[in-house]
Amino acid sequence: MAGEQTLAGHRVLRYTLTERMVHWAAGFSYIYLLMTGLAFWTPWMFWMAVVLGGGSVSRMLHPWAGLIYTWSVWRMYVLWNQDMRITEGDRKWMQVVGAYARHEHDKLPPVDRFNAGQKYLFWLMFWGGFALLLSGVVLWFPEYIPGSLGFLRSLAIIVHPVAALLTIGGFIIHVYMGTAVVRGGFSSVIRGEVSENWARVHHPLWLARISGNAPAKK
Amino acid sequence: MAGNTLDLKRVSASTTPPPGVRTTPTVSKLIDTSTCIGCKACEVACQEWNDLPPETTVQLGTYQTMPDTSPNFWNLIRFNEHQTDTGFHWLMRKDQCMHCADPGCLEACPAPGAIVQYENGIVDFQQENCIGCGYCITGCPFDIPKFNTKTKKVYKCTLCTDRVAVGLEPACIKACPTSCLQFGTKDAMLGIAKKRVDQLKANGFDKAAIYDPEGVGGTGVVTILSFGDQPELYGLPRNPTIPLTVRLWKSPLKWLGNLAIVGGIVGTFVHYLKYGPKEVDGAGHSGKEGGA
Amino acid sequence: MTNGWTDIRNADVVLAMGGNPAENHPVGFRFVMEAKRNRNAKLVSVDPRFNRTSAVADSFTQIRTGTDIAFLGGTINYALQHNRIHEEYVRMFTNATFLVREDYSFNEAEGLFSGWNPEKKSYDKTSWNYELDAKGFAKTDPTMQHPRSVFQAMKKFYARYTPEAVANICGCSKEDFVKAAELITSTYPANKVGTILYALGWTHHSFSVQLIHAAAMLQLLLGNIGRAGGGLNALRGHANIQGGTDCGMAYHNLPGYIAIQKADHDSLKKYLETITPKPLQQNSMNFWSNTDRFVISQMKAYYGKAATAKNEFGYQWHPKLPQTPAGTYENWSWAFIFDHMQNGKMDGLISFGMNPVCNGPNTKKVISGLAKLKWLVVVECFEQETAAFWKPDILAEIGKKPQDVATEVFMLPAANFAEKDGAFVNSARWIQWKWKAADPPGEAKADQEIIARIFLKVRELYAKDGGKFPDPVMNLNWWYSNAASPSLTEVCKEINGWAVEDLKDEKDPKTIVLKAGQQLGKFLDTRADGSTLSGNWLYIGMYTEAGNLTQRRNNADPSGMGRYSEWTFNWPANRRVMYNRCSADAQGKPWDATRPGIAWNGEKWVGDVPDYKVDSPPEAGLGAFIMLPEGVARLFIPGQFVEGPFPEHYEPVESPVANPLHPKQSSNPLVRPFKTEWDKFGKAEEFPIACTTYRLTEHFHYWTKNNAYNMQLQPEFFVEIPEELAKEKGIANGDKVRVTSARASIEGKAMVTKRIKAMTVAGKTVYQIGFPIHWGFLGRGQQKGTLANLMTPPIVDPNSFAPEYKGFLVKLEKA
Repeated sequence: MAGEQTLAGHRVLRYTLTERMVHWAAGFSYIYLLMTGLAFWTPWMFWMAVVLGGGSVSRMLHPWAGLIYTWSVWRMYVLWNQDMRITEGDRKWMQVVGAYARHEHDKLPPVDRFNAGQKYLFWLMFWGGFALLLSGVVLWFPEYIPGSLGFLRSLAIIVHPVAALLTIGGFIIHVYMGTAVVRGGFSSVIRGEVSENWARVHHPLWLARISGNAPAKK
Repeated sequence: MAGNTLDLKRVSASTTPPPGVRTTPTVSKLIDTSTCIGCKACEVACQEWNDLPPETTVQLGTYQTMPDTSPNFWNLIRFNEHQTDTGFHWLMRKDQCMHCADPGCLEACPAPGAIVQYENGIVDFQQENCIGCGYCITGCPFDIPKFNTKTKKVYKCTLCTDRVAVGLEPACIKACPTSCLQFGTKDAMLGIAKKRVDQLKANGFDKAAIYDPEGVGGTGVVTILSFGDQPELYGLPRNPTIPLTVRLWKSPLKWLGNLAIVGGIVGTFVHYLKYGPKEVDGAGHSGKEGGA
Repeated sequence: MTNGWTDIRNADVVLAMGGNPAENHPVGFRFVMEAKRNRNAKLVSVDPRFNRTSAVADSFTQIRTGTDIAFLGGTINYALQHNRIHEEYVRMFTNATFLVREDYSFNEAEGLFSGWNPEKKSYDKTSWNYELDAKGFAKTDPTMQHPRSVFQAMKKFYARYTPEAVANICGCSKEDFVKAAELITSTYPANKVGTILYALGWTHHSFSVQLIHAAAMLQLLLGNIGRAGGGLNALRGHANIQGGTDCGMAYHNLPGYIAIQKADHDSLKKYLETITPKPLQQNSMNFWSNTDRFVISQMKAYYGKAATAKNEFGYQWHPKLPQTPAGTYENWSWAFIFDHMQNGKMDGLISFGMNPVCNGPNTKKVISGLAKLKWLVVVECFEQETAAFWKPDILAEIGKKPQDVATEVFMLPAANFAEKDGAFVNSARWIQWKWKAADPPGEAKADQEIIARIFLKVRELYAKDGGKFPDPVMNLNWWYSNAASPSLTEVCKEINGWAVEDLKDEKDPKTIVLKAGQQLGKFLDTRADGSTLSGNWLYIGMYTEAGNLTQRRNNADPSGMGRYSEWTFNWPANRRVMYNRCSADAQGKPWDATRPGIAWNGEKWVGDVPDYKVDSPPEAGLGAFIMLPEGVARLFIPGQFVEGPFPEHYEPVESPVANPLHPKQSSNPLVRPFKTEWDKFGKAEEFPIACTTYRLTEHFHYWTKNNAYNMQLQPEFFVEIPEELAKEKGIANGDKVRVTSARASIEGKAMVTKRIKAMTVAGKTVYQIGFPIHWGFLGRGQQKGTLANLMTPPIVDPNSFAPEYKGFLVKLEKA
């Protein structure tokens, strides 16, 4: 199996088509959610809802986009939850995360398929998504929440933006890292491939594993 | 029910100051629950003036028309049987939008111009601007705004702003046969209410009081309660306030959040300026291969 | 109403009993609230249920349905025992000083007055009268100490109605009763006034007339009749029920409350002699001595030029009430009509603006009666149950199918009240013109056009075929410019009446008072010689030479007391408060200067239109009650009512207990049950629960079930059940329950409430329940068969013949 990911020309397959599709389902739905959500968040950004078809349309589609996002995050979980487990190495990596930010990779422990930053991002988006889903359902159907359960609405109205803000933080870093900083990262999630060299730099343990000549992943 | 823009005192989710320039005295309904006979004239007058379709109801073992107000039924008399040690009381209170001075619905509303407050204190929904999010439902401590699942908009009592604008009293007031409902400036209504409360006290209701809760800055409805110490008996919250979470969401969190978002974007930009990208196939400044 | 709606605001105490004005008269009830707000008046509510009126009352006492006379009798006793009466008023304005005959008595153990004939089950009323002097005037004792004075007789009679006895009968606590009695009688001082508001809760009993008699006695003792803020006020139900009654709706009256001609009144002279009362006191004005003027003017209105002195003004053309073989007169009141129908004595019925299937008691008997008719004409603005009585689900109530019924039914569509001009007379006796708001839809016609076209057709048939007795029809004065649809302005003019010839002053024949053709201005403009015409003497003044005063709308109130004397026309004679001579003392000075009625200014009476001779000085001592031969009000009523001169508590015919005062004579001895197969009665053993019926503010009779807005406010038939009883029967709020009487069974939603409480009556626990009318077989929503009157008993008051809708027995179970 490991050999299947090794492609011609020193390329390796980092993301399967399914993974890429799921990623972009999450990505696009998140961007829509972000834009419409920000429109509801502050009147200064309400123009985004206008651009996207108006406030009512945005209000109508936002929850459905949320469901797409929920579905795709769930799919990611099914695909990646093995790869996303936090290991001892990740904890060490996180202790020296500053070095990563400063590109001092030699100070970092070796990384498998995802580095700790990516993993924490994933779990942030996963649990954040979960909180957004729960609070979102309450916000979706406020008319069905009886007055006696009004606290649910009050709770949702705060949980939803707090969770959203946290994911926005993650999202900013993710987009910044994936596009501007980690060269090759963006194309990897478009075409699915990275160079062996890229893999060796960023995910040496993973490369070794898929090449079939590395110590088994523990 | 669009009123005159010169009267707009507050506009929901507005980035600019409201356009109101007029100074109009605050108006108010007076509801004297101690003289309400529960005749429901106000209920039907409200529907007829506003041309709202009739609702289909069922008898649930009470004189109350329906359990709660609805998108097409903005004015409901709540009935409650109250037995005390000294006697029995059948309490009736007309329930509708309280037209808070500090309206939680408007505070919570994210849609620009969907909820407005006029200089005379009337809080009004502008359905054409409503996006149907229902945040007003959450913002309201009286559980008044009602969501129409067909139109996806929210509705409530307008205090007949169209009538008031031309010098008429609201339809419910007009229909009230016992003058348990009256209408005028809030000061005038408070004056009448004070007199009536004194009379009630003299007649043995020593806890009689005016319900005009401070938590929402006072209301555009001055309610006289014989049992002023127990507003719950009338289906009124004791200390209504805009939910803390709405306040949090609206103000501190909003600025914190905006700061965080802007900070995040600026931060990443600065980071890029300082550290640039991680190049793999270039000069190898990203570190030793395989060393990671 | 002796007074008017707007006058209620002058009251210090308002007793709402036998009525629920907040529910049924919410608009007029505003004046009660004004009294409360502005005068801090006390509202006393006495009812089987804690109702909408009770909700804003200062005092509420729950009584068992049908025990109002016990409660009022107890209050009378309380007033007499504690000297809480307006003594000077009582002495001056009532027959308390009169002496009753020596042979009058009341047997307390038997519950019967003197003169009882056990075989005939009726009274010889001779002994119920005054002791007369040689001139035929009643003897009096101004000290009221004579043991046979009405005052002492009354005191003795009501001594039995102690607070304990009242509590035992009514099922209230003694303390509650005393508190209420204390409040009600608190208006006995001259400067205090109280009013009583009542409605069908009093008139729908088998002792209803005596009930109102009791209330009148109480008001007289407290000095509350004839005074601003006082009176005894019947709240009329339908918009024009007062007008209907004034204009001869009841079978035994002509318009203006003139007794109808009877078969043995073989001449006009004999008729007038029989119905004209003779004065019983020298100083009695006895205004009914003018009966001949009113009757003959009315005959002139009927027969016009054809009515002449020679032919007794057409007296022989007028229908007369036939005699029965037993020597009494036939009864054609409501319940009797349907009894006659059931017994096959009727061929047809024109049901004009009436829905007997819903309105009458004991619905099954009504349906069965209609099924025996040859023809039925229903004039209505909706298809209602009477017009549809032949439909399967209605006929199923009597076990019949449409094919079993031969009745031919016609339905004539009529304009409703808002689709036609005309006048309403309200409870305050205001005759108010109203203008139509919309045209009637489709082929619907105004009432007068329907009546006129039927009449013209009948007249045409008589003209063509002759017939047995064409005179009344052929001679009828059909003078209207548009014969097929008379203008109501013309009808209004005719009811008021005009001078047929030039009218001479009665004292000075040289002066012409009114020229021929001019409208009459006052009662005594009428003449008994055929020179005047007036459809209803009571309404004279409504359409004078000044025009149609029913259209007058001046809301100026110079009195400051809500008299509004130039708002429309108030019969009689634009008088706002009746018996208003009683508002002033012996010197003609108002009892309460802040609320004057009329006052003597040295020359004449001023203020309201005096119910008195305007220039008769107080020292002349003319009797204050000018319509009564005594000249004073009757506490003791000689001979007028069939069951006694004083009101005695009798149980409803169906009662959960035997009368605690005299168990052997439990109910009214004069009630006569009908005898058809449908006239069934239940006993307390099988039907232990007392039940009453009522109306809701959300609905109007059986009409508004056709209106979606009304239906949403009160969508379904329901039964109000005390919590204790519901618990006993395992009934929860909103459950479906079945109520069964001896006559029928209906189902509805349970409304379990604290507003009706279990009672202890005659030592046992008694429950009462109640349900509203308003539902039937047709209309919007789920309501088939939820008709309250399927349950009500076919028993009537022996004086007024009003059915006992308000008290009967049922059993209750979870459905």
